[in-house]
Amino acid sequence: MSDRKEEKRIGVILCHCGKNIAGGVDIESLHKAVEKMEGVVFIAENRFSCSEEGQATIQQLIKENKLNRFIVAACDPTLHLATFQRCGEKAGLNPAFMDLIDIRKWTMHGSPVKVDSKQALENSKELIKRAVKRIRLKRIIPKIAVKTEPSVLIIGGGIAGVEASLELADKGYKVFLVERLPTIGGKMALLYKIFPTNDCAPCILAPKTAYANAHANITPLTNSEVMEVQGYIGNFRVKILQKPRYIEEKKCTGCGICIEKCPSKAPNEYAAGMGERKAIYIPYPQAIPLKAIIDAEHCLYFQKNVCRICEKVCPTGAIDFEQKPKMIELKVGAIIVATGFEEYDPSEKTEYGYGRYGNVITQFQLARLLDIDGPTKGKLLRPTDGKEPKSIAMIQCVGSRDESTNPYCSGVCCMYALKHIQIIKEMVLPTAEIYFCHIDVRAVGKGYEEYYRRTRGLGVVFLHGRPSEIIENPETRNLILKVEDPDIGERTELEADLVVLSCAMVPPHGTKQLSELLHIELDENGFYKEVHPKLQPVETSARGIYICGCAQWPKDIPHAIVQAKAAASCVDSELRKGEIKLPEFIVKTGKNKLRG
Amino acid sequence: MSNKIIRTAELDPNFKFEVTAHESARDLNYCFACGSCSAGCPIHEVFPDYNPRKLAKMIKLGLRKEVLSSDYIWYCATCRTCEQRCPQKVSFFNVLNVLKNIAAKEGYAPTAWVEQTKQVMQTGIVFPIEETCVKKREQLSLPSLKGEGKKAKKLIETTGLDEIESRG
Repeated sequence: MSDRKEEKRIGVILCHCGKNIAGGVDIESLHKAVEKMEGVVFIAENRFSCSEEGQATIQQLIKENKLNRFIVAACDPTLHLATFQRCGEKAGLNPAFMDLIDIRKWTMHGSPVKVDSKQALENSKELIKRAVKRIRLKRIIPKIAVKTEPSVLIIGGGIAGVEASLELADKGYKVFLVERLPTIGGKMALLYKIFPTNDCAPCILAPKTAYANAHANITPLTNSEVMEVQGYIGNFRVKILQKPRYIEEKKCTGCGICIEKCPSKAPNEYAAGMGERKAIYIPYPQAIPLKAIIDAEHCLYFQKNVCRICEKVCPTGAIDFEQKPKMIELKVGAIIVATGFEEYDPSEKTEYGYGRYGNVITQFQLARLLDIDGPTKGKLLRPTDGKEPKSIAMIQCVGSRDESTNPYCSGVCCMYALKHIQIIKEMVLPTAEIYFCHIDVRAVGKGYEEYYRRTRGLGVVFLHGRPSEIIENPETRNLILKVEDPDIGERTELEADLVVLSCAMVPPHGTKQLSELLHIELDENGFYKEVHPKLQPVETSARGIYICGCAQWPKDIPHAIVQAKAAASCVDSELRKGEIKLPEFIVKTGKNKLRG
Repeated sequence: MSNKIIRTAELDPNFKFEVTAHESARDLNYCFACGSCSAGCPIHEVFPDYNPRKLAKMIKLGLRKEVLSSDYIWYCATCRTCEQRCPQKVSFFNVLNVLKNIAAKEGYAPTAWVEQTKQVMQTGIVFPIEETCVKKREQLSLPSLKGEGKKAKKLIETTGLDEIESRG
């Protein structure tokens, strides 16, 4: 290549970044040190290199001094490398010969690696010295055009995954929507009502899930899991394991006769561990697809080789005990991860006695109890004796804002607790006295503060105190909460018939394994990590793989929808031309050269 | 814990840093006043005026004199329930130890506490032994209890406990 023989004229610009760099390091000394570096023919300083004026100066300097390599010592390359590469291109410099190195991380307030000014000078010198050495060795990297598949894999069939599917399917992409459970709809389908409108959750969800199920461009793959992912943007090869339903989906009409006749019972996972279902079941009436499924672990035929009653009663002959797991291989252009969340298991907070005391439940369980299609058909009854509770205490921030479990605030627990208070006070059990024990009430969102005010108006006791522990009265099974009320300044012993824990949202099981399959990072709390929390919230470190909804961070439905649409838009931007340009990888080992 | 108006001009804004400068009390500034400490405290149950949440706020406000001269900082039974229940991992037990040390150095130690120290220096025993107890031990041919005042005195002098004056 021609660039090997030409004389290397390297220019360096030291950016002050206002006071972010200049305030933490002696720029004059740095300037003098860089001047002496071998190969540097030009050095200048700039107050804000990224400003229009700064960029114009850089272009002018490159042209005037006939520079063919240029280093900007300023901020993080993920932030501005592209800016300076474009700037260099205008002055006739190939992007490979424009480099940006981060010396700001040593000096800027808020940086996790900030050091004192002496150390900052040493570190900056060293980084620039290395960058100068490196840029001398650089070659122009050719870009190659790669064809992209006009199809997308979406992992997770909750509201975020369904929304992203619809957005892309309407744009003309083929969408494969993979869901681990037998129905799409995710957690939202089980919330009964949603804040701040108190809309019926399945009612506003169903138009989307039903449309997704019927959409010509969407293939829902329920009861399926991703097993293998290979390839890169535009050309991912994915293996998906579809577990057998033991039902021929095309024949099943969802009539429910098989369920009625099935003699075997199992715990119902859709009733938050409180009700029972049959071994052959439909998760809930609005399940999509509305097809039965056999749970082999509880089916008498699979366990004891008897029964097969469902087969005899099915009017369409849809039962097929011979079904085997199926491996599906797909080629997709991009992947969206929308795996959602799980409710924190509060049994490790032993002071609250969840799992030990029968009348301590979680808010998710309460949502199922209040639901008309839940285990109690919408009646609020205590788990231990089936009686209506006269007093209910809610405890906020269980497993969140807690340094021994999860340090973060899930952001929605206050709101869903307020929602349940409204449902109880206005519909289910208006006579119940409700105590809401909180640290702070966080009602940030459109219409949320008004929702909080409305709840206060219902005559609920808002108690600014986090209970230290709960003790059960073994005779009545009532619960005594030790809590301190600072407003009155008295110790309060609060007796409640039912205690509801507002638990944090945590990453669902399997998150780590999936992150390993996809080669994307997790953050310190186990959620998928975005490239930048503010500016690139749905992008991951792997190009072509995006995240949205609670897979990224706990959030409410409006934010999950916004992210789903954002992720879909990112996919569209990458795939819409049918081909993308990628830098060619060249690997040299001895005399051999491998291009790809 | 008086009823007068708190005037910020009379507060000591450095008090919180004076306390948190001690490694064991470092996390006090993270307190968000949830009250888990007070709610679980067995002393608060008996003496409702002893209130860890309130004391923490008083330290953070800078009510230096009020906190150090208060009887309450000496009430803690060191069960460490507050520390275990605190979601922000504040060790209020250790905060109190820091407060007690500062208070003792500045002459706020309770009289009873100082008198007891003097007794230990003289006799080597925390509580005086009663005659009946001595006789009973003789009957059971148990070794006699003798406090080692000299050793105790040396130990107390080394730590500087002997120099602490009571608030009188």
